[in-house]
Amino acid sequence: MITMREFIILALFLPLLTGTVTMLAAKPQTIKVINLTGSIFTSLTLLAIIYQITLCKVFSAGILYVDYLSAVLLLVVAVLSFTSVLFSTSYMERDLKDGHISLQMLARYYGLLNLFIFTMICVLVVGNLGLMWVAIEATTLASALLVAFYFNRSALEAAWKYVMVCTVGICLALLGTIILYYTQLNVNGNGSEALNWLMLRDIGFLLDPAMVKLAFVFIFIGYGTKAGLAPMHTWLPDAHSQAPSPVSGLLSGALLSCALYVIMRNMIVVQEAVGSEFVHNLLIVFGLASILIAVPFILVQHDLKRLLAYSSVEHIGLITFGLGIGSPLAVYGALLHIVNHAVAKSALFYLAGVITQEYQTKNIVRIRGLMNVSPILGTLFMIAVLAITGSPPFSIFVSKFTLIWAAFVGGYPMLGGVTLLLMSGIFAGMMYYCLRMCFGPTPKKLEFQRVGAPAMAALVLSVGIVVIGGMFLPSWLHTILTQAATIVVGG
Amino acid sequence: MNLLTVLLLFTAMVLSRVSNLRTAVKILLFQSIMVTVACLQAGWNTGEAHMYIAAVLTVLIKAGLIPFALFRVVKILRREREANPILGPTNSFVASAMLIVMAYWLIDRQLPGVLSRDALAASVSLVLIGLLLIMTRRQAVMQIIGLITMENGLYLLGLSVTMGLPLVIELGIFLDVLVAVVVLVILTYRLKLSFMTTDTSVLKKLKG
Repeated sequence: MITMREFIILALFLPLLTGTVTMLAAKPQTIKVINLTGSIFTSLTLLAIIYQITLCKVFSAGILYVDYLSAVLLLVVAVLSFTSVLFSTSYMERDLKDGHISLQMLARYYGLLNLFIFTMICVLVVGNLGLMWVAIEATTLASALLVAFYFNRSALEAAWKYVMVCTVGICLALLGTIILYYTQLNVNGNGSEALNWLMLRDIGFLLDPAMVKLAFVFIFIGYGTKAGLAPMHTWLPDAHSQAPSPVSGLLSGALLSCALYVIMRNMIVVQEAVGSEFVHNLLIVFGLASILIAVPFILVQHDLKRLLAYSSVEHIGLITFGLGIGSPLAVYGALLHIVNHAVAKSALFYLAGVITQEYQTKNIVRIRGLMNVSPILGTLFMIAVLAITGSPPFSIFVSKFTLIWAAFVGGYPMLGGVTLLLMSGIFAGMMYYCLRMCFGPTPKKLEFQRVGAPAMAALVLSVGIVVIGGMFLPSWLHTILTQAATIVVGG
Repeated sequence: MNLLTVLLLFTAMVLSRVSNLRTAVKILLFQSIMVTVACLQAGWNTGEAHMYIAAVLTVLIKAGLIPFALFRVVKILRREREANPILGPTNSFVASAMLIVMAYWLIDRQLPGVLSRDALAASVSLVLIGLLLIMTRRQAVMQIIGLITMENGLYLLGLSVTMGLPLVIELGIFLDVLVAVVVLVILTYRLKLSFMTTDTSVLKKLKG
């Protein structure tokens, strides 16, 4: 019988092992097989951890700590890391064939991808706010070289802005964490259990409220930068549009959610100390600002991947807004939305990857007649765009509906109404561009190449989850989300 | 106010004036050595072994590997210099002086009568001046230096208010800083290859 501790260590060890072995492999075929195997085992281990959490509820040993809240995010990472590796195999094969990358770059890509997945798992399994900071900064660094992967001018620009903006942001979060540690020291004197999340939550009501408020402002701005909340989101469209598409999917679905996870962990401690009103107001303001700022950029957009990136800003804003409402229903909706958004948005980024490889452009105006070029891809794209904009009967509709419902019953009918209005604007923008791309005359020069089987599998799997998730929510997921919402609401 | 604080503030002030990249890295090296001394002093005062380990790491990483990497990249960049910063030398000198005043004001307001007042104010000043450097310099290397100045400030802050974070977290932070500089140096090198310059004002293609 493998214990929880061993599962967690295995989940951390597997991506590192896969990455190392990849660097030693010589043939593209070998690299592909190694990574697919490694990814399957990593995801299975993560699922096993989630299963164990449903049995033992909380696991804490040394610096490792997981509970229901981690389980939600572990589920996201488990699904997305698998689909993104699956999609990568076809995507990179095509890039290699088209001569965009060399064999050496292929090995480097998978090495970095595994490192990136490793750092994200790190964020979710440590129970110490200081170590969470270290892990979040590590995700920036691992993904920066993936953003810059093609090393062309725009990729370099995106990567430079990404590292600079996020590192400065994360430095502010460190400042906040140091202040939080200072308040903890004032309570329990010696440095034992320093920044331990459980400990901090339990002594939360003893912490000095003024200092904790100051700390949370810094922490929120810092991790908010990483989560892509407006007005600190400036790096996000650049990085998401320049990274290879499988990485864009991971960045948008998993990394932004991980940053939100750390905000939630800090929030739980802070609301013990200063009450929830201060925290909630901050979240609502930044959440709504993010939705608002995304609208004009979605309505007037020329780049397919930037369109999707701004849609991520909107969704992260919506999740933050949900967390800000703070009722158990709203937090439940927000957590469900994290899962749904991750799956749907990564599917869209993968589709954008296939489309850009086919049309050799990211410019929306030049992409026409997708339905004629490939009816399957066109249909999947239509479904995914309909889903991400919140149309029934897809899974995002359920979580968006829950969030808006929670806003109305939770005492924010005005803000709920405004959000609905903004979302209808986003729906109009996204659908307009989607229909333009799906129909119309096909460019003459285009020769359609069949999409590789692994990529198709990744697409069908992601879109399948989005479709089924709209009609049926497994009871175990419901339990996990309800319990996680209880943890976030506190008390 | 002790000599160390004065020297640290001095390095930050000078950094806001220089335009030669090599000189800037030298000043940064000196600053990191001062941080190490501060760390040793804290270890001497408290007698904690963990401070000495942190001091050794600071010397190795911030006064060793990071300046080494920066000197190497500066050598490749040759004639690059901070030609047209957003805030000229005199203005940014005045600005950093104002930031120091602001840091003292902040500390006196938030933590009146705190023991390590000067050390705290110095570290907050370092953070603010680092931020100023990042915002007003166009040279990639100068921005990296701003980032490390900021990090040095945060480290000193942790040292003076909490006697340093727990060792395992501090190790992680050191590792992150080191990797961050390596990543940024790689990107700087690539910028030089692709754009023939490391002036980041050329990075303006991605918009909207």
